[in-house]
Amino acid sequence: MNKAARWLPALVVSAVVAAGAVALPAVASASSAPPARTPEQVLALVAGSTDVAYSGTLEQTSDLGLPQLPTSGPGASSSSSDAASALELVTAPHTARVFADGPTRLRVQVLDSLAERDVVRNGSDVWLYSSRESEAAHVVLPSRSSATPSPEATTPADLARRIVSAIEPSTRLAVSGGSVAGRSAYELTLTPGTSDTLVGHVTLSVDAATGLPLRVAVTARGHDSAAFSIGFRSIDVSAPSAETFRFTPPAGTRVTTPSPAPSAPALPSGLPRPAVLGSGWTSILELPAGTLDASDSAASPDGLALLDQLTTPVAGGRALHTSLVSVLLTSDGRVLAGSVPVETLESAAR
Amino acid sequence: MSRAEGGGAVSARRGLAPGDEERPRAFALLGSQLAVLFRRRRTWAMLGALALVPVLIAVAVRVTDAGTPGDGPAFLSSIADNGLFVAFTALSVSVPLFLPLTLSVVAGDTIAGEASLGTLRYLLIAPASRVRVLAVTYAGVVAFALAATLAVVLAGVGIGAVLFPIRDVTLLSGDTVDAGGFVLRTLLLVGYTSLSLLGLGAIGLFASTLTTVPVGAMAATVVLAAAGQIADALPQLAWLHPWLFSHYWLGFGDLLREPIAWGSYASDALLQLAYVAVFGALAYGRFTTKDVLS
Repeated sequence: MNKAARWLPALVVSAVVAAGAVALPAVASASSAPPARTPEQVLALVAGSTDVAYSGTLEQTSDLGLPQLPTSGPGASSSSSDAASALELVTAPHTARVFADGPTRLRVQVLDSLAERDVVRNGSDVWLYSSRESEAAHVVLPSRSSATPSPEATTPADLARRIVSAIEPSTRLAVSGGSVAGRSAYELTLTPGTSDTLVGHVTLSVDAATGLPLRVAVTARGHDSAAFSIGFRSIDVSAPSAETFRFTPPAGTRVTTPSPAPSAPALPSGLPRPAVLGSGWTSILELPAGTLDASDSAASPDGLALLDQLTTPVAGGRALHTSLVSVLLTSDGRVLAGSVPVETLESAAR
Repeated sequence: MSRAEGGGAVSARRGLAPGDEERPRAFALLGSQLAVLFRRRRTWAMLGALALVPVLIAVAVRVTDAGTPGDGPAFLSSIADNGLFVAFTALSVSVPLFLPLTLSVVAGDTIAGEASLGTLRYLLIAPASRVRVLAVTYAGVVAFALAATLAVVLAGVGIGAVLFPIRDVTLLSGDTVDAGGFVLRTLLLVGYTSLSLLGLGAIGLFASTLTTVPVGAMAATVVLAAAGQIADALPQLAWLHPWLFSHYWLGFGDLLREPIAWGSYASDALLQLAYVAVFGALAYGRFTTKDVLS
């Protein structure tokens, strides 16, 4: 055998590995198209899917145009600052496992590197667990919410009709066939009727067999790929074992029992309520002056530095640009936010 | 790395007479390779250093307080409660640095070390094909990866049992497993961590065929291990991450969930297999075309 031939395996193996890497995902996503349905029928399918049992892996990705911080390794942002962790939740990709058996039994596991955050609901018992802090919280839901307005009160078809009539004037609806996590799905696309919003379109993928929403993706105007998406990477529609929903706080865990969240939005009393300007896709949320200072009373230098890093100075304050949402912090302390360009916020602030 | 050890390498292989049967000879070659590896004082020094990692952690936690949950390496705050967590903490500390470092030394030394000691030609005079020499050499690297991981885990369990109370282990999901579940998951962990190092081992083997200076091959492998992890921490290189041999190194946490998340085990196995195939084939290309002069 001559010398060149000895290098042949290296060439062949590299080619096979590269081909395999390209071909495998393509094979996995192949599935047949579901029968055609109208948007209203797809929504009725979703509304009728409350008692589906399944387990699956959810993936969240976002590309909002915000700076990303290292998520692992020595330079990881492990600061416990609330602002930084809230930012991390939105900008960093996450993976979670979801187990559900009907509307009242649910377990969500957010898979972090060498850590996990759990939410377990079994009937009216809700447990929150964080392995990193070794903390658990137990909440007993008030009995009325376990008997929430039952889905029987309105049929799924009624509900779907009402949703469609509410969103139809400002939004165009369209349905196409697709596939998510290897299952054939309906893709319901919501396109805003106005061009004044940053949202290009929202795609809701619905499992054709069970009506379970499989993926939500929001695409910014003028972009091709989704700015924010959350959806199943894999899903198995069979009932998870009952063990999954049974949670006993492990020994050595600090257990708290916070009182159930009040039904009204938890705004500290004495604060002016936020106002909503406009309607539909272009509505703007305005927090009056003073709200930010009060809620940020514990603002650390860390948090302020983060704010400086994220925002850019504009006429009348500082602004945060992302591909989906703009936030304007005016120099007189008001906060305006909306899915509109910053210029719209500036003119609304005047 | 003395001459005497090199001489030992030769004498250990003297049993390979040309008249031996085909199959026993393959095992004899493997046996002598493992004997040479585990007869070296350097191998034992590295395994000892790895075993010191959990000891150091356990003693540090014992003589000070455990610290607040959430600080320091993963599982650190659980140690004072349950000594078995020493093994997990030690593993999560060793995976990014100590395990790749020691494995790089072993993998980088394989072919280049024999060449620099002048023993490679004796190895090739024996009637074993170069492919078989390469395969057996790599098997030695795999054996060391397993031994290194076991050293960390066993020392961790041992020192934890001596210094701290032992009880049922709390998984990341908040569920608790008994002794049998702990042993099962620890074995899976050892398998996962050893598997994760195979890609780096193949890279080291290839680097080792490129040179007759073992330190060069070791350094190149260590640098690649570090570079891989740095690239993995940069979100700007997200498209590259699934292709990095170090991407799933810390994924062993998925074995400590309930139910076990097998996704990273499967992805890791596939990825390491690809690395072994590509760099094994490259090493074959280099080693079979190389002129062995020493």
